[in-house]
Amino acid sequence: MSAAILIVEDQLLIAWHLRELIEAAGHEVTAIATDTDEAIAAAGRRRPDFALMDIRLRGQSNGLDAARVLYETWGVRSIFLSANLDPQTREQALTLDALGFIGKPFLSTQMAAALERAVEETRGAQGD
Amino acid sequence: MPSTPEVILNVNDNEPGRYATSRILHRAGFKVLEASNGKDALRIAREDLPPLVILDVNLPDISGVEVCRRLKAGADTSTIMVLQMSATNIAVADRVQSLAAGADSFLVEPVEPEELEAVTRALLRLYRSEESLRLALAERELLLKEVNHRVKNSLQLVLSLLSLQGQEFQQAGERELFERAIARVAAIASIHERLYQDTDPLSVEMHTYITGLCAELARACVDDAPDAKLLAEVENVRLPTEQGVSIALIVNELVMNALKHARPAKGSAVVSVRLVRHDNDALLLTVTDNGGSHGTEGDEGETQSGLGTRLIGMLAQQINGHLDVESSENARIARLVFPSQIIRPCQPPS
Repeated sequence: MSAAILIVEDQLLIAWHLRELIEAAGHEVTAIATDTDEAIAAAGRRRPDFALMDIRLRGQSNGLDAARVLYETWGVRSIFLSANLDPQTREQALTLDALGFIGKPFLSTQMAAALERAVEETRGAQGD
Repeated sequence: MPSTPEVILNVNDNEPGRYATSRILHRAGFKVLEASNGKDALRIAREDLPPLVILDVNLPDISGVEVCRRLKAGADTSTIMVLQMSATNIAVADRVQSLAAGADSFLVEPVEPEELEAVTRALLRLYRSEESLRLALAERELLLKEVNHRVKNSLQLVLSLLSLQGQEFQQAGERELFERAIARVAAIASIHERLYQDTDPLSVEMHTYITGLCAELARACVDDAPDAKLLAEVENVRLPTEQGVSIALIVNELVMNALKHARPAKGSAVVSVRLVRHDNDALLLTVTDNGGSHGTEGDEGETQSGLGTRLIGMLAQQINGHLDVESSENARIARLVFPSQIIRPCQPPS
């Protein structure tokens, strides 16, 4: 069973890598958003099963803000991705029922494993 | 002098004495807060965070020396300057005791107004210069954090680029060679993850670094050897970052080889990595597997294992280590003894 995943990442090369990994695992990318507003708009157009959320986004945009709106509006949870996962960031993310944390730099295998865990965990909540 | 007057907390239980000091400070252009006991002094200091507290030694509740000690121990109040004053506790031992408790200066009463004002200004100057140093340090820390973020992001771009490039290879052999290259880059890159979490960027804690690396390697080899077991036993030692990277690359090569080729006659492959103290001056790294087809002639990965072998040799040389490999039908053991430059043993978190 395949999942629909929203990528929120302002580095397009990394977003492309993520898309390849998601599609190679047989899942679908609903959209690639590069800042908070785009992420919220994309989730509004098509609701993902979960989001892959970079924390530091374009401009002053913060992935935690986007994740909060996604979670509080539609119950969409996120896997958080960052080069700097400090304790405060983790703490805030945990209040949004985070699906996981991936530190940059990540390896394909590491990301693929996190995706599969998230797909498993969100499976029950889909399509209701 | 800043446009808003500096605030000074004047603590004295003797009312005429307190009044006299406040009057001098007012005339000199300062804003004065007052307290007549230790408890109030501590409360006002915490609430208003004045740059300077002028503190009488003899207070009715808590002694001035103790008030000073508490101010200097408080997270928010430790930067406040303390000028201790007394008319009675003025022997050398008393003055020494006050200064030892953290007071920044001591004046014997009665004091001439000019001297009180001059000492007050000197302490405020010191407070401002310490404050600007603190700010500069905080800015530096932010900058370091930012640089680190950039480094890790760039390493991610490298890994993403290599992964995307790897998909261009059609032949399994070529693809595998490329994956090995990515794993090597990743072994180097992953040290940055450890460095930033740490207080000391010049050394790396080997236990988390190597166990983390082994977890990644185990995950990466699931397709080749789904039953393989990878055990890591790494002592809690800190090594210089450069030496740490070399060890990680050696582990990476030895483990990749073992996971690839360990095919025991019975059961599944078991690879174990140990890094322990050898003697006072050396560490011992061993990578052991339970047998298989290492280095078989005509192996399709031959060129690759050629590079791997050369890399291991070169890296061992880099850290002045001595490597020997024993191979038998049931086991293969690679042993590397190298002079350790242990920074200090890691304390387990208390």
